[in-house]
Amino acid sequence: MSKRGWFPLLLMASLATVLCFLTLPIVAIFVDTSPLALLSSLHEEGALEALRLSIVCSAIAVVIIVLVGTPAAYLLASRRFRGRATLVTLIELPLVLPPAVAGIGLLAALGPNGLLGSRIEDAGINLVLTTAGVVVALTFVSAPFFLRQVQSAFEALDHTWLEASRTLGASESRTFLAVAIPTAGPGLISGLALAWGRALGEFGATLMFAGSFRGITQTVPLAIYQDFSTDFTGALSLSAVLVAVSVALLLSVKLLSGAEWLGGAAR
Amino acid sequence: MLHVEVGTRLGAFALDVALEVPAGCCLALAGPSGAGKSSVLRVVAGLLTPESGRISCGEEVWLDTDRRVDLAPERRPCGYVFQDYALFPHLRAWQNVAYSIRDTSRRARRRRALELLERFGVAHLADVRPRTLSGGERQRVALARTVARRPAALLLDEPLAALDASTRASASRELNRVLNEAGVPALLVTHNFMEAALLGDRVGVIDAGRVIQQGTAAELAASPGSAFVADFTGAVVLTGTARGGEDGLTHVALDGGGALASTEQGEGPVAVSVYPSEIAIEPSGSPRTGSAQNRLEVEILSVTTIGNRVRLGLAAPQPFTAEITSASARELALTPGMRASATWKATSTRLVRQ
Amino acid sequence: MRTRWPVGLVVLILVAAGCGSESGGASEPTLTVSAATSLKNAFTAYGKEFKQAEATFSFAGSDELAAQIQQGVKPDVFAAANTKLPDQLFAKGLVKKPKVFAGNRLVLAVSANNARVASLRDLEQDGVTVAIGAPSVPVGAYTRTVLGKLPPSQSQAIKANVRSEEPDVGGIVGKLSTDAADAGFVYISDVRGAGGRLRAIELPKKAQPSVAYGVAVVKGAKQPKQAEAFIDGLVSGPGQQELKAAGFEPPPAE
Repeated sequence: MSKRGWFPLLLMASLATVLCFLTLPIVAIFVDTSPLALLSSLHEEGALEALRLSIVCSAIAVVIIVLVGTPAAYLLASRRFRGRATLVTLIELPLVLPPAVAGIGLLAALGPNGLLGSRIEDAGINLVLTTAGVVVALTFVSAPFFLRQVQSAFEALDHTWLEASRTLGASESRTFLAVAIPTAGPGLISGLALAWGRALGEFGATLMFAGSFRGITQTVPLAIYQDFSTDFTGALSLSAVLVAVSVALLLSVKLLSGAEWLGGAAR
Repeated sequence: MLHVEVGTRLGAFALDVALEVPAGCCLALAGPSGAGKSSVLRVVAGLLTPESGRISCGEEVWLDTDRRVDLAPERRPCGYVFQDYALFPHLRAWQNVAYSIRDTSRRARRRRALELLERFGVAHLADVRPRTLSGGERQRVALARTVARRPAALLLDEPLAALDASTRASASRELNRVLNEAGVPALLVTHNFMEAALLGDRVGVIDAGRVIQQGTAAELAASPGSAFVADFTGAVVLTGTARGGEDGLTHVALDGGGALASTEQGEGPVAVSVYPSEIAIEPSGSPRTGSAQNRLEVEILSVTTIGNRVRLGLAAPQPFTAEITSASARELALTPGMRASATWKATSTRLVRQ
Repeated sequence: MRTRWPVGLVVLILVAAGCGSESGGASEPTLTVSAATSLKNAFTAYGKEFKQAEATFSFAGSDELAAQIQQGVKPDVFAAANTKLPDQLFAKGLVKKPKVFAGNRLVLAVSANNARVASLRDLEQDGVTVAIGAPSVPVGAYTRTVLGKLPPSQSQAIKANVRSEEPDVGGIVGKLSTDAADAGFVYISDVRGAGGRLRAIELPKKAQPSVAYGVAVVKGAKQPKQAEAFIDGLVSGPGQQELKAAGFEPPPAE
C-alpha cells in the first residue's frame, strides 16, 4: 500500500462508522418485532390519540413559527444594527438548552408562579397541563431551528435582487413577499422541516410544562416513554410511526428544495 | 434635468459630487474601482442615504437633507440597470419585465411585457428563466424591465462589464439606441474610459470621491486637467521638473534622464503628457531632421501588433507607449531589446500639474 | 514526520481512556444502583456513607428501571417502590431473591401556599387539577388502589380532575412546587424532602395501600459482594437510618 493510501481509507472508515451508528437504532426499531404486531398495537386508542396530538400540536406550532419567524428572520438578515449579534445569540439559545431546562424556563415564565403567570391567569388563559401548553413548549424549542435556517437563507440572497425590486417601484413589503420569500424558498422549507421534526420529537419541555395525559397532552414521545415499561411492542410501533413521519418530512424537503418552480435560487 | 449634489463619508474618503444632466443627455462617470461612482448611483436611486445632499429630477425633489426630504426608492421614478442585471431568478423573462406594471390584468401585463421584449429583440425568450440566458440576452431583458416603468431618469452601473468582448460591441449599440430614444437624463458609471467615451455625451472623471474633470470625451483626452485624467484617458505620462527657457519653450528634465520641450507653460514638478499615436520612431542615433523638437533614446521592451497598428512598449528609462503602423514597424525591423529614438513635437507635449 | 502527530493523538486518547478506568478499578470499585425516584434523597445520603464502593445512582420510575433490566441493562442493585416489580424480575431469573427494606405512606400533597385544597373532598370540585403517577409506576398504582377504595362517585369525580400522569413521583412533586397542578398523590417522604414547599394531607386509614419497597441484587452484577453489603446496610444499618430521616416507614408487617 502506497503512503498515500491511508487517508482515503480513514475517510471511508469514518463514514462507515457514522452510517452504522446512526442507522442501526432506526433499523432495529423496524426489525425487532413483526410488522403485524406493530400494526395491531398501533390501533390501540392511546396510540392514535398520541399521534393525533403530536401532528396537530406540531402543525400549529410550525404555523406560528413560520408566520412570526419569517419576518423576524428577515429583519435580522437585512439590517445591521447595534446589538444585532446579541439578539441573534439570544434567539439561538433554546438550541443549546437541554429540553428539561427549557421546561423549567417555561414554567418560570408562564407557569402559575411565573413572571407572567398572574397576568395570563387574569386573561383567563391556562397553559400548564393543557394542549395549548404543548403548543407553547413545541414552539419554544423548535423556533430557533427555523429562525437560524431562514436567517441564513435570507442573508445568502443576492441583495441586488431586493434593490432592483425597490427601484422598480415595489415597497419593502412587496419586495419581501414577491422577491425575498420565493428566492429564499428552499431555505424556508428546510427550516420548516427541521422545526417540524424537532417539534414532533419534543419530550422534556412538554412533560415538565404541559404534563402527560392521554388525549390532552400526551404526545407520541411521551406515549412511547410510558409504553416502554409496560408495552414494549406498543412503544416500538409508535417509534416506527414517528420514524416514518420524519423520513417523509426529510424526503419532501429534498424534493421541494430542488423544485423547478422555485426558480432554483439555491445555487 | 437631473440635479445631483451629494456629500458623504465613504470609508477612506469623502464623496463630494455635484452634477447636472439635462434630459436626453447621458453623463458617464468614469473612474477607477473604489472611486465612489456606484455610490453616486445608489444615492440617486435612494438605496443609500448620504450625510448631506440634494437630488431633484425636473420639478420633483427626491432628496433634500436640509429639509429632511428622503423619498424611498420605490417612490423615485428612476430606472436602475445593475452591473449583473439582477434579474429575478424565480420569474420568467416576461414576468421580470412586467414586475413594475401594476393595476392591469395578467393578460394586459403580459402583452405589454411582450411588446417591450420585442423592442429589444428578445420576445422569443419571454417564457425563459434568467438562468439559461446569455449575458447579452440578460442585458436586453434588464433594459426592457427598466424602461417598462417609464422612468424619469436612467441609472446604469457598468452596463457592459458583465459581457464578453464580442457581445460588448452590439450591446453598446443597443444601449446607445435606448439612451437616445428614452429622452430622459441618464447617469452611467464605468471604469473604462473608452466605454464612457462611446456611451456618454459628456464624461466626468471621478477619483477618491471627487469629479476631477468634466467635458466631452475628446476634450478630456486632448486637454487632461491632471496627470490622473491624462493617465486615465490613455495618454502617456512622464514625470520631471520644468523651467522656462529663453527660447520661450518650457524645458523639462525628466526623472531618470532625458529632456523634453513643451510649448505649454509650467514650472517645478510636472507631468508631461503625449498620445502614443503622436510619437514617431526612428532608428537609434539618427540625426534630427524636421521640426520635431523632442527626441528620446529609448529601449524597445515589447512589440504588439493590433491589426494595421503596432503598439510599442518603450523605456526612456521611464516606461511609455508609442503607436506606429505595422508597415513601418516591419520596415524598421523593430524587435524587443533594440534601441531606437522616439520623437514628437513640442506642440503636442502637454504639461499637467503634478 | 507528518504522520507522527495523528499517531501521538491516538496514543494519548488510549492512555487517557485507560487511566479513566484505572482509577475506578484499582482504588474503589463502582457500584451502580437503579432506584425509584422517591429514594433519591435517602440513597444519595447513604451513598456518601457507604465505604465499600463508590455508589452511583440512576433514579427514575421503578417500572422504567425494571424495563431496562428486562432489556438487558445490568446495574448492580435494583430498588423499587413496590415488591411487585422485583418479584417479577426474580420470576424471570433476572435478579436474586428480593428483600423488603422500607415502607412509605401515600399522601395527598399540595403546594404550601395553595389554600384551594384542604382535604380529599376538595379534589372533587370543578376546576381543581390533580397530578398522579402513570398506571405502571408504583406511586400511580398505589394511587389507583386508594381511589378504588373510595366510594365510586368520589373516585369518579377525582379521576375527572386528573390532568397529568407523570412517569415518576419527581414529576408530580415538580408540578406541585410550581403550582402547575393544585394537588397530587405522592409519598410522605417526598413531602419531607421538598423542604417546606409542600404540605401533606393524610388519607383515610382504610384507603391506605400497603406500600413496601423491595431491593435485589441483579444477576450478572459486576460487584455482587458490594451489592450485598449495600443491601445489608439498607435493611439494618446506615441506610435504614437515612431512610428513617427522610420520612420512610419501617417495612409493613407481612
